Amino acid sequence: MRLPGTRYQEPGWEDVRKLLGSCSLAALRGLDLARPDPDVLEEYVERMAAQLLAVRRSPRALAAGNAYGDTVYELAVALVVELRARPADWEALRAALADGPAADALVRKKANDMYAVLRDRVDADGYQAACGRPCSPNRMYAYRMLDTAYHDIARLFADWHAHVAQVGAILGHAVAGGAAPIEVRQLRGIADCRPEWVLRWSATLDEYGGGPGPLHTRSKRFASLKTDPERIGAMLREIGEYELLSANHDRDWLQDLDDAGAWVEDYWRVLQESEQATTPGPDRILEPGADPLDAALAEPDPQPGLDPAPAGVPADPGHDARLDALALAVSLPPGYLREAAAAEAADGTIARLLAADGLPVRLAVYATLLGPEDATYPDAWRDPASGALPTMRQLAALAEVSQPTLRKRRDAAIARLEAAINVANSAAKDVTNDAAFNPTRGSHEHE
Amino acid sequence: MNTSSDERDRQTLRRMQEAMLLGRRVADDRLMLDDATLRAALDGSRPLTAGERAALRDSPLTARRLRRLALERRAAQAEGTADAWRGSAGMLRAASSGAPATVTTDDGWWTLHFIDLRTFGWRVVLQLAPQAPFAEALLVAQLPVSVVDGAGATVLSGQLDADGECEATWPFATPPAAHLQAHGARFTVAPLEGAAR
Repeated sequence: MRLPGTRYQEPGWEDVRKLLGSCSLAALRGLDLARPDPDVLEEYVERMAAQLLAVRRSPRALAAGNAYGDTVYELAVALVVELRARPADWEALRAALADGPAADALVRKKANDMYAVLRDRVDADGYQAACGRPCSPNRMYAYRMLDTAYHDIARLFADWHAHVAQVGAILGHAVAGGAAPIEVRQLRGIADCRPEWVLRWSATLDEYGGGPGPLHTRSKRFASLKTDPERIGAMLREIGEYELLSANHDRDWLQDLDDAGAWVEDYWRVLQESEQATTPGPDRILEPGADPLDAALAEPDPQPGLDPAPAGVPADPGHDARLDALALAVSLPPGYLREAAAAEAADGTIARLLAADGLPVRLAVYATLLGPEDATYPDAWRDPASGALPTMRQLAALAEVSQPTLRKRRDAAIARLEAAINVANSAAKDVTNDAAFNPTRGSHEHE
Repeated sequence: MNTSSDERDRQTLRRMQEAMLLGRRVADDRLMLDDATLRAALDGSRPLTAGERAALRDSPLTARRLRRLALERRAAQAEGTADAWRGSAGMLRAASSGAPATVTTDDGWWTLHFIDLRTFGWRVVLQLAPQAPFAEALLVAQLPVSVVDGAGATVLSGQLDADGECEATWPFATPPAAHLQAHGARFTVAPLEGAAR
């Protein structure tokens, strides 16, 4: 399924989920989950980044994660980064595994649940940013449920001979064995799928599927949807319309949009103009929505099961050691600090603003804001073993501080950077001496 | 600092600003301003009130919506400029009778004419439709363009003349229709890569 602004709703999600599951297994090993300490989340995020980096050239990591050109690796990394900002989701996993070492299957399941909710949060936000309409994780889940329903109905219709009774129940009238029912021939896409079919399809699952259908469980998450066929129809049509649009031309255009950072100038301009003008009230601020579909709590996605545990395969005794070795920080070449510092333009704005922080902290800032392997980094900054910036563990060792201390310094540096930029931008109308600082000046040179 | 490292520095700073703006998350964030309010702020017709400004600052999700609208606005403004055109692709349609003398891109803005000079080989002429929205800007900018076949080989490259045409000798041994057919049956017209803008 594709919807505007979403990245995690296509079949490639299965690989993202599995990659996150296997990396989590290694990242959580030996992590003390008994403490409800924000540092434990940071530690997990850093271990995940290192795990993912280590397997980023594997076939699964390189596979396409969606139709927008994001790889499975990129999607997995983005979701881990997102987790940093959503400690509540992490807390559920931490609490569930706090009692000490858990079986691999349980660890995978908990990681699975956490990322399943997280991907719907991320995509619901992406959808809101893309279309300006409210959305929630539960609503995203409902779109996906309807998409799954349509595909199952289409499958049954296509093979209606073998499913005469169930197809009849979905259509609401008896199906004769002779010619295909007219509805079967008319169903060409999700937009043709009728809401009453979805409702009846869900009702048939108790008899023909493996249990109650999604609209017939005791869960309250779709309670408002099952009494609102018009809404179901509108959601089905929306999926269909965007599928058509994105299959044609929307894609390239969206890619172009995502490359552009020019909007940052517009953002500051809008804030500045607001400060200079005195637009009379009242404020036009939106009221919070009251959609019951959005109010339903996000629950872990029960549909995709666990990764099947390889049956009958005895535990590989070298497995733990291998994953441990993956997690161990690779040693950097001698002279790294000297050469990395030499490669940093001393008069660059970041180096100047964060001069007091030292190179390891600045590299941690770069890794957090631009990712560990941005194309603009000089080679001397990279760990030759990974081709990326050193991990937080390595950087902490270089800075001769603990990882929690490095994190605190990094976050303080980012906060100072943000504050300095805010000050520079709100004072931009007066600034005359610092072109590099003012994004609204100097832009003409490359446009 | 020289100009190129100056430029790189500014771009890095801008990307970091963007990462900081896009990376912020607030619990229970939601859209705080509707599209009409954001669009009016972007085009300057109604700057935000102090309360709306605070709402925008405090809601990363609303800032992301502003980003989307700002980029759409910029894309709309770019229409009619040379920047708006990033390339056009065309396919060799199965001809009902013999080899086609012309092929046109899917958007209709570009036509390739093939001229058979018999013993002197073939010539190829690229022609820009004057009604293309970017036509005037492209001619003013004197931007070099190139045509590549479905296998990525250059068919023609150069600057358009005042009539919006560019002509060259057909560079391949096989005649145009047969060559294109054997190389993916498609072609692309695009700004010449690496050309200074």
